[in-house]
Amino acid sequence: MHLAHLALTDVRSFRHLAIDLAPGIYVIAGENAAGKTNLLESVAMLATTKGVRSGPDLDLISWQAVVEDPLPAARLEADVETAAGKRSLEVAVIAQVAVAGVPPTRAGKRFRVNGVARRATDLIGQLRVVMFAADDLAIIDGPPVNRRRYLDLTISQLDPAYLRALQRYARVLEQRNSLLRRLQERGGRGLDQLDFWDDELAAAGALILARRAESVRALARDAADRYAELAATTEETLEIRYLPGVPASVQEALREHDLQAHLRAALEAGRVEDVRRGMSRIGPHRDDLSFLISGHPAGMTSSRGQQRSAALALRLAEVALSTRRTGDPPVLLLDDILSELDPRRRERILHVAYGVDQVLITTPDEDRPSREELPGALRMRLFEGALTPIAPFEAG
Amino acid sequence: MNDGRDPFLPGASSPIARLVEAFHRLPGIGPKSAQRLAYHILRTQEAEAQELADALIEVKRSIVFCQQCQNLTSRTPCEICTDASRDRHSICVVEEPLDVLAIERTNGFHGLYHVLHGVISPSDGVGPEDLKIGELLARLRDVETEVSEIIVATNPNLEGEATAMYLARLLRPLGIRVTRLARGLPAGADLEYADDVTLGRALEFRQEVQ
Repeated sequence: MHLAHLALTDVRSFRHLAIDLAPGIYVIAGENAAGKTNLLESVAMLATTKGVRSGPDLDLISWQAVVEDPLPAARLEADVETAAGKRSLEVAVIAQVAVAGVPPTRAGKRFRVNGVARRATDLIGQLRVVMFAADDLAIIDGPPVNRRRYLDLTISQLDPAYLRALQRYARVLEQRNSLLRRLQERGGRGLDQLDFWDDELAAAGALILARRAESVRALARDAADRYAELAATTEETLEIRYLPGVPASVQEALREHDLQAHLRAALEAGRVEDVRRGMSRIGPHRDDLSFLISGHPAGMTSSRGQQRSAALALRLAEVALSTRRTGDPPVLLLDDILSELDPRRRERILHVAYGVDQVLITTPDEDRPSREELPGALRMRLFEGALTPIAPFEAG
Repeated sequence: MNDGRDPFLPGASSPIARLVEAFHRLPGIGPKSAQRLAYHILRTQEAEAQELADALIEVKRSIVFCQQCQNLTSRTPCEICTDASRDRHSICVVEEPLDVLAIERTNGFHGLYHVLHGVISPSDGVGPEDLKIGELLARLRDVETEVSEIIVATNPNLEGEATAMYLARLLRPLGIRVTRLARGLPAGADLEYADDVTLGRALEFRQEVQ
């Protein structure tokens, strides 16, 4: 698939940007703070509806719009061409102005697919992206929530049922935890009030566990191969393991049909302790991944270079997974990651870039990656919120 | 003028500001609508304002819960509960009084009602004991009861489902049939625009063509 058109209105540093795009590789050069990352994150947001950086949605709206417009809003629009046809997507972040003249403190999001108002779940997956960024390292050495978020963003783009289960799971979990605290206040009487919430948690949770296990198996296999190509020596290996947040009895049933029944039984068996702690201790909200480089946990003993290779291998595996599941490769977004890599690893990444329909690469340096490394790439300059083509003869 | 402050500016402690605030506290009324309503009242005859004020007080003083169905009524038991022509074998359990009106509009149900005044939602601090469930049990345990079916008409969302399941487990031991409203496509809908969940359920609970 590829983006045929992208328009950003009042999105962070962009007042108005509109550009027609074709399949191929784009190199977008710009100085620091020119808005390169904002540009790629905007494309990612059209794919996932979520900001790449955590933080309030209000921050997405250009500060000038917040100051000047009576109803400030950021609008992200894209036309996407896929193997299945053409579609137009829109994400609008609208500030909620309570009283005229008082700066808004909250923002709401609205979504459209082909001009029709839709829910976020209907938009996600229409455009699929894989974004490579410097802070991908935080997937490997950050807290477990980073790895769950990584899995959720990756799988949600491929699987609407997974996304629905995630949303339901989050609501049920909140209700169950509230009920646990209520029961705790009453000294644990009325445990059967948990029946409904445990049924629902087990139904949504089993789907999440099964899909994560399946996706991690595929990602781990590809990532191991890609890591072998990226690593400096042949002895180095990357192993990715799924660590489900459920007891061994449930883990053993991960590939079975009765996973849901096992999870339900574990939830029921854990009720008394859950009430004592006032929280749900069992379920995919406690999942994690472990990255082992040559058998050792990547967060602790490996070098920065090894961790970087592991993050790259994971993203490359994600490209393969997305392509294999849908038969249509995703759009690649490379946010200023090439300049830090040695030529050998750079070459491996660019090799994959030629295997997909469209790649957007940002760089602070107009001549890196060089024209020899990327023959046929279209080069553009990002300056003061506008994109202009760089003519081939400019390259001196 | 008074102390030099403009009585029309919001935030001033004027009678107008108080009225705007009072309207703003109502559900579905934003600051703009509240202002519009307040200025409308200012422009009307005093008699009209008095009528509104009387109606507000009247409704608070005279409306009570029906001792049987717990619906809001001006006399208890309410008109529906005392209507001899209604079928006393089934009770339709709803979340809110407005749901009674919605079901009455269908002309498809001639039994009795029971209003829960809420749904089970632990995160909002609402448990079964906060709803009118004890009152429902009392009705069913009455020696003169003829009720053989409870139709649970809570909303088809998570909290509505939780309440329905709680009721089903509670009432089945009493030997009463517990049913739930069907879920599926809205009348006049277009399949193309139906969401996956609704369409999936409609498929799952499909029916024989009569």
